[in-house]
Amino acid sequence: MPIIVIGANHRTAPIEVRERFSMSQSEAPGVVSRLVDSGAANEAVLLSTCNRTELYVAADDAQRAEAAFRGVLSHRLAVPTESLSGFLYMHRDRAAVQHLFRVTAGLDSMVLGEPQIQGQVREAYEVSRQTPGLTGSVVGPMLNRLFQTALSVGGRVRTETHVGLGAASISTAAVELAKKIFGTLRGRRALVMGAGEMSEVTLELLCSEGVRGTIVTNRTFARAVEMAGRWGGQAVPWDDFPRAIHGVDIVICSTAAPHPVITLERFRKAMPKGASRPLCIIDIAIPRDVEPLVGDEPNVFLYNIDDLRQVIDDSLERRRSEVPRADEIVAEVGEEYWNWYAGLAVVPTIRDLREKGEVLRQGELDRVMRRLSHLSAEDRSEVEAMTRSLLNKLLHTPTVRLREAAGNGRGTAVLDSARYLFELDGLAEDDNGAEPDVSSLDTSNRDTGVTDGPVNSGSLSGALEDRTGFADKSAGSLAILKETAEVLEQSTMETE
Amino acid sequence: MIGVFHFGSVMLYGIAGALLGFSFVRETRQVPVIACGIIALGLCLHAIALAEYTTEWAQLPLEGLGPSLSTLAFLTGVGLLIAATLGQASTVGLVLAPVIAVLTGTAAVVGLVPSGQSLNWFGLHIVFAFIGLVGLTIAFAAGLMYLMQFRELKGKRFGAVFRFFPPLDTLDRLGQRGLLLGFPFLTLALMLGLAWMSSTTNPSIPSPAPAKLVWAFMSWVVLLTAIMARAGGGRRGERGAFVSVVGFLVVVAVYLIVRAGASQQGVFL
Repeated sequence: MPIIVIGANHRTAPIEVRERFSMSQSEAPGVVSRLVDSGAANEAVLLSTCNRTELYVAADDAQRAEAAFRGVLSHRLAVPTESLSGFLYMHRDRAAVQHLFRVTAGLDSMVLGEPQIQGQVREAYEVSRQTPGLTGSVVGPMLNRLFQTALSVGGRVRTETHVGLGAASISTAAVELAKKIFGTLRGRRALVMGAGEMSEVTLELLCSEGVRGTIVTNRTFARAVEMAGRWGGQAVPWDDFPRAIHGVDIVICSTAAPHPVITLERFRKAMPKGASRPLCIIDIAIPRDVEPLVGDEPNVFLYNIDDLRQVIDDSLERRRSEVPRADEIVAEVGEEYWNWYAGLAVVPTIRDLREKGEVLRQGELDRVMRRLSHLSAEDRSEVEAMTRSLLNKLLHTPTVRLREAAGNGRGTAVLDSARYLFELDGLAEDDNGAEPDVSSLDTSNRDTGVTDGPVNSGSLSGALEDRTGFADKSAGSLAILKETAEVLEQSTMETE
Repeated sequence: MIGVFHFGSVMLYGIAGALLGFSFVRETRQVPVIACGIIALGLCLHAIALAEYTTEWAQLPLEGLGPSLSTLAFLTGVGLLIAATLGQASTVGLVLAPVIAVLTGTAAVVGLVPSGQSLNWFGLHIVFAFIGLVGLTIAFAAGLMYLMQFRELKGKRFGAVFRFFPPLDTLDRLGQRGLLLGFPFLTLALMLGLAWMSSTTNPSIPSPAPAKLVWAFMSWVVLLTAIMARAGGGRRGERGAFVSVVGFLVVVAVYLIVRAGASQQGVFL
């Protein structure tokens, strides 16, 4: 069953399209359950963020799944499905698996290595997992394993590489700089000058780092009050800010003033003895709010927008240099997942093979036991154990080889051969109460082609000799066991 | 076996130092933690060596140049591990690991043999003095890194030092704790040393030369100055760091001069 991803992201679709594709968490269950219930997909997970809307499905019919999702999207945009082609991409199987792993690791994000995507993938997976379909959850073993592996890949990439390290935005760069001065920001005090969007974003981040006792000032006092109220801070009138600087550790300046509002003169007036402890001033305003000379004052660390940009550029450069390492992890885990996935295809064949072997073993055992009715219960149990051991040894190598073949891409041919050689395609009829064809046992054994497994003619005879030690008292049973060994040895010799 | 264990610990300290250097250049995150683990392993070997020494010579490794340096290195290593775990400043090992390796290596080269002096309670004086010196060494390492990080932050250079070194505040606190640990112990050591000098009547025990007394007192003054430099406002972090670094270098330089000119062996490092 192929795994497919269909979707659009920041590379393929402009914001106007992405925002219309975007689906809320409350919409996702409806979309995935409709797809699964309609039979277009067997399993489905919908990932929708501001930068991507992607549907991951395990479906027997990839075209049908794609068409169904295109239908959903075209309905949202109220345009014909053909017009979506330019925005959508579709990956299948290995490419789809690798795509999800890269997405989860932040390698496909607009800001390389951004951490939020991991949480968004987890959330999307959880929402779909909890969505009921007609026959249980819309997420089955394929996507369960895929998303769990993807989340672990995301974790590994972030732990083992620097792809998520360093600041990637103005506000995170500001926080990173402040943390390099103060260590933890917990309990630090901040003054925010200007009540614009950038100020608020930075303040939000500072508060999330534990900054307390925020003071907000703005030329329009009402806006300062409003913003301070949102973040549990205190608003001060614009003219009072020099007094406010005195007790804070961090100053964020983001006003629209056409000239510096913190001049050296004003700063010295506000702090006649200079800063008694480190003061970090982040000036993200253009034109700048703080006169550069203020940065020469003792204990003052002044950074403007260009400095922050430099921090971001350095971080992004380092992140980019980590992408090959991250991709190695993605490829390595992708291969592991693919081996598991390919292994699923051989499970029915292995099960059929074992079932058939078991039926034959049981039939042959019954036949022999009828002739050895004089055996004690203990001897009977030993004979039965021996046949079970023999069957396991015979099937061990084919089982291992089937799994290996599935993993290395030769699965289909080997599977077909195995099913043909062992006559597994007709097993269903045999299972329906029909008497197993015991005579086919020898033929099956001759045709298996097992020549280099753990069971060979020498070891088989030895094993049988060991097993028959208990039957010395019974010449009849020994003869039968030896006959069985001869048959098996003959089949092995023939294949050699 | 004492030599073997010593050699093993020198190797491990060296490897840890090299790993930290590599980590600094390549900016690998996990390495400082691994390096601390290697230092911890080195300290285990070192402790075994010192324990063997104590068993073999029936006295603590506190007198004689080799044993003294070895013990000083061991205590500095313990200080580094404490700084790394409690102070979250494992990268301080970048400065301290080579210092520990050099001290231990010198001890191994000089030879781990006591000079034959009876220690009695004089040993306490040495232990206290060593703890004082360990405090000064930690203050030196933290101060050096503080000054470098300060330079980066003030100069708006966001290179390897900016990323690899701990924040200024962490280094500042570590330096302060080093000084606050070192000063009282060195004070006690000096008091005990003076008491020992005045109480000893055995003519076979040589008295320390005046130069050595001056050195010991100078070390104490350096610690005191560094602590006082941190008092008050303004650039106290910078001042404290600067005095710690210069003071430590002066203490080492004076020691080497005094040592080179010393005629007596034994009751001095």
